Amino acid sequence: MNGDFLALLPKAVVPPAGANAPALQPLHATTVFAFHCAEGVIIAGDHRATAGNIVFSDKTEKILELDSHSLMAIAGSPATAFEMGRTLQTSFEFYRRSQLQPMSLAAKIRALSQLLRNNLAGTIQGFGVVAPIFAGVETNDPAAKPQIYFYDPLGAQFEATDYAGSGSGSGSIKSVLSFLERWGQPKPAEMSLAQATVLANRLLMTAAEFDTATGGVHPEKRLFATIKLVARSGIRSISAAGQEQFWKEANP
Amino acid sequence: MTEEPYRWLEAIGNRREYISEQMKGGTPVFAVSRPEGILMLGVGIGHSKVFEIYDRHGFAALGHPVDIEKLRQSAIEAAHVEGFNRSSKDVTLRRLISFALSPMLKNSFEQIFSPPFIIEAVFTELGETPAQDVLVRVHYDGNHHYETAGILIAAADRKIEAEAAGWLRENLKAEDSAARAAGLCLVLWQAIVEGRNLAEFRAPESLPRGIPGKTVEAALIDRKLPAPVQYRSLELA
Repeated sequence: MNGDFLALLPKAVVPPAGANAPALQPLHATTVFAFHCAEGVIIAGDHRATAGNIVFSDKTEKILELDSHSLMAIAGSPATAFEMGRTLQTSFEFYRRSQLQPMSLAAKIRALSQLLRNNLAGTIQGFGVVAPIFAGVETNDPAAKPQIYFYDPLGAQFEATDYAGSGSGSGSIKSVLSFLERWGQPKPAEMSLAQATVLANRLLMTAAEFDTATGGVHPEKRLFATIKLVARSGIRSISAAGQEQFWKEANP
Repeated sequence: MTEEPYRWLEAIGNRREYISEQMKGGTPVFAVSRPEGILMLGVGIGHSKVFEIYDRHGFAALGHPVDIEKLRQSAIEAAHVEGFNRSSKDVTLRRLISFALSPMLKNSFEQIFSPPFIIEAVFTELGETPAQDVLVRVHYDGNHHYETAGILIAAADRKIEAEAAGWLRENLKAEDSAARAAGLCLVLWQAIVEGRNLAEFRAPESLPRGIPGKTVEAALIDRKLPAPVQYRSLELA
């Protein structure tokens, strides 16, 4: 049996990662959400990335523009999520240029689903979990409206009719959005861009009250959320200066 | 045949004649560097001639539609692999043409038992300023040269091509907009197709916005558009 791999295995046991292994805290990006407003879909996120109870960064950009009409908001492992974003950006643009037509919205949604599915090992190990939100509009249909999809970490996709949230602070945000959709005046879906922008910042400030992993939004310090609007005409980034103006108008 | 050098040279000569013959019906394509960006223009009837390659890169060609498509796909693939593995800033025409496209064209031309590319092409890359724009003329045999004067034309006949570039340089002022440049390209295209003597040809006061019965394709790699994607199609009419 000399040279037999199975026979050699018991003689050279690989030690399991245990008490002697150094503790490694995975990095997490939180909190992102999307909701319909009168002008399209607002997609927003805070700027915080954490590793356990450590604030790793308060300047993280979690809303990734995939192409001129689709966005991905990331929650979970930034390393995996950024790579997924880059893969999708290249894939969508490569398809559009080589085929001389944009990829359909259904194919874009499916492409993200496949990347999540391919990340099964990272998801099971708990180190590469990504639970993104996708917002986009079907460019091949002139009457199409922007849509929101959210995913479980294994790749199942679900359309959100009103709103979606992901990350540790999303529970509070979804509760408030649910309340506003039922009893708000106006409801988020009826809000102007200015109102929706102010709401997005207030939601993140509310989430930060209950979740230490949500942060980086302080209007009094001129620190605002990352907010983008997906509309029929394309993507519009709401700059910090624009958000400040809306904030001052709403909070004189 | 390759063991007999004189027969190989003869075969290469035959291929040049064959390509030249095949290119005779082709009409010119234009690339003009302007303050707004790089204007690209071609005129056809059905087959496209002006294309987006990458964020800041364009391609225009005349020749066999299948060969235009093959070169286009190769350029797009090479650019996206480079952009994905490194960054979009690392996608440069100098690398694309020197390491991916020209060797492929040269191999195809010199492999005398396989068909050559029937193509004459222009590649463009937008810079921060017009002086930093890169315009490259690529020939069917992989030979290529960089144009620094901001005006580049690919035509079936190299003599006409040089005369046309000279005419455009004389008639295009530094302050002229991309729209006026497009109008001048259209009158020049018409003059070349009609076989006019360009030394005596004068541009009309009112420039056209189209060619009756033809499809005008124009694109601007727009310096004002925010990165990454700066290529956009232009509607002239």
